[in-house]
Order: sequence, then structure tokens, then C-alpha cells
Amino acid sequence: MNSSIPRSTFILGLTAFVAAFALSHIKAITRPVIQKQERRKMESALELVLPGYTVGEERSAPAGKGAFTYWTASKAEGDATRKGYAFIAEKAGYGGTIQTMVGVDENGAILNISIIRQSETPGLGARMLEAASRNTFFEVITGNAKSADEEPTPWFQEQFRGINASARIEIVKKGDWNESMREELMRKNAVSAITGATITTKAVKDSIEEGMARLKAALDEHAGHEEANAR
Amino acid sequence: MNLYREFVKGIWEKNPILILGIGMCPTLAVSTSISNALWMALAATFVLIFSNIFVSLVKSAVPSHIRIPIFIAIIATFVIIVELTLKAFQPDIYKSLGIFIPLIVVNCIILGRAEEFASKNTVLPSMLDGLGMGLGFGLTLTVLAFFREILGSNRLFGYTLIPGMEPATIMTLAPGAFFTLAMMLWGMNALKSRKRR
Repeated sequence: MNSSIPRSTFILGLTAFVAAFALSHIKAITRPVIQKQERRKMESALELVLPGYTVGEERSAPAGKGAFTYWTASKAEGDATRKGYAFIAEKAGYGGTIQTMVGVDENGAILNISIIRQSETPGLGARMLEAASRNTFFEVITGNAKSADEEPTPWFQEQFRGINASARIEIVKKGDWNESMREELMRKNAVSAITGATITTKAVKDSIEEGMARLKAALDEHAGHEEANAR
Repeated sequence: MNLYREFVKGIWEKNPILILGIGMCPTLAVSTSISNALWMALAATFVLIFSNIFVSLVKSAVPSHIRIPIFIAIIATFVIIVELTLKAFQPDIYKSLGIFIPLIVVNCIILGRAEEFASKNTVLPSMLDGLGMGLGFGLTLTVLAFFREILGSNRLFGYTLIPGMEPATIMTLAPGAFFTLAMMLWGMNALKSRKRR
């Protein structure tokens, strides 16, 4: 038994070494691809949440333990310049932190949101990323499918468009959202929860309300700095 | 040793989910849609085949009292390879499977086959055992997902079946998986007992 301890240690160490060596190579191969994917995801998310806006540089403000990231953007509309903002909202959902990029116009109305990171349960909370295809199965197999224009936005994200982020956002349980519900929900400033994943829905809603408050604070502070600099 | 038998036993006779009753956690969790089920089956089969190959290669060099950590290290290595590859080349699938990719490490089918088969057999039968078990796992998962996706989301392969119909949400939740699994077990046992008679 005694003589087997160094041997076991050696074998375990060797296994770990070989595994680490192999993985470091795999990591080196996949890292640039993953980074590129993530950068592209960030850019397309910004484009999605601030449609038509020219996005300025990324800014961050301290918030709690981490940092609060936000962007200011502008769009020329006739003679006036409209301002827009995007920020990253985050809050713990059911299976980990949910990160959402939120775009708002100068009045606080949400232009669009995009879920950046989530680890919710597949089939339940993870349905926040699920887009309902406009084609039915029979149309696809019989070849009558409508052309696959750009991927439809997931309904969960779509329903946030036009919601006032500065006010309280309500949650209603009406099942999957569809276009015909928009008017009624807009009146209540409400979103429909994902069936079986109310915690997920609430986390996104809360993170947006919190993020909006942080955005206002960060903008005020930034304006304060600029004023001081001007003096 | 009959290689063909080692390969096909995982599909029916020793089906990991329906007969051996292992690997239930990913089965219940990712069988909500066919595309999730297929990708999960592919990932798990890849890990199964390669962990079986490597376990059978190193089996004589590994002292029996430290075999479990060694097996886990081998399995974890291949799981991370799958995870990084999916993250780089199939980010959408990676997003929708989420936590269940890293959880393949503790999938009892994989450790179970390493312990029960690969550590006692040579490379070729171990590889075939892994492939067969992976296929058995994948087929069961796909059949399960077929019924759950149709009844639970009114979809097939992500496409709506009957526009405007409200699906039975319970089928996408855990009880729906148990119901469907029980039905499949029932069907399988009925077939088996008929054969015996």
C-alpha cells in the first residue's frame, strides 16, 4: 500500500498534466473564434437596441460590486438631434445572472432589448431567446414556406419595445406574447411572463428598472463633471 | 467477442435510459425540442466514444483505487472540448443547451460505461459500446422530444404545427417528461413481453 502512494500520485498528476496540455491547445484554437463571436454579438446587440442611432463610446460607472456599462447615442431627425441610450442590465434569474442590453430613447421608452447572457432552464426560462417561426411545419415540408427574411426577434424581447422603462413595469400571465396583445399590454405598461418561468421574467423586468435608475444617476453625474470642467 | 452485439445492445437490450435507468437528468431537461435533443445526443455520444477509448487504453496502468478520479479527468477533458467547440462554432445551440453541456461530466451513462465496460474491455469493443450507448441515448431522447415538442409547444423542428392552437404547457415541464417516459417504458415492456410469449 505504501509503495502505491507515490505511484498513484504520479499517475494522477500525469493524467491532469496531459488533460491540461490538451485543453490549453483547444482553448488557444477556439478563443479567437469565441471572442470574435462575442464582439459581433455586442455590436449587433447595440445595432438592435439603438436602431438608426450613431452610438458613442462605451462608458462605465461603478455600481454595487461591479460596473454599470452604458452608451450614449444620437440620431438626427430633421433639425433636431434625438438622444438615445443603451445600457447593460443584469440580475440573477433562476439559473444564474441574466444580462440584457436595453436601448431607450430620451423619454425613457424602450427601443429594444437583447438578452446577452443567460443560463436559464432550457425549455422554460431559456425560451426568452426563442423566436416563433412564422412558417408552419406543413408549409415547410410542402415547400410553401414564406421566405426566411431576417430572423424574427424572440417574442419575449419584442414585447418590451415601447414599454416605459422609467415607470413601473407590470407582469401579466397571458402565455406567449403575440402582436395582438401589444396594445392592451402597452396600456398597462406590462409584459407577459414566459409560462413556467415567471422568475426569469421578473429578473429581466427588475434589472431593466434598476438599470434605468442607474443610467439616470450615471448621466447626472457625468453632466455634473462636465459642468465642473467647463467652469 | 461479438462486436456487433456490443454495438447494438445499447440501442434496445441495454438502452441506458429505458432499461438501465441512468442519465435521467439530461433526459428530462433537454428533451423539450428535437434540435436540443439531437445536439445533446451528439455531444454526449462524442464524449462517450472518446472517454471509452481512452479509459480502455489506460485501464491496465491505472491502480484501481484511483480509477474514478482518472476517469472523471478523462471525461471532463472531452466535455470541455465539446463545450469550447460548440461555443465557438454553434453559439446558438450552446446558448440553448446552457448548463447541460458542462453537466455531461456527471452524466451517469458516461461514467457508468467507463466503469462497467471500458475498464474491462479492449479499445474496439469499448468504442462500439460507446457508439451504441450514445445512439440508444440519442434515439430515446429524440422520441421523447418528438412527443414533448408536438404536445408541449405545438411545434416540430421549431416550426409551428397548427397556427393559433394553445399547446399543453405541462408537456414542456418535468411532469410531461415523466408522463412521456412512462408511456415509452410501457410500450417497450409490452413489446418485450409479447416477444417472450
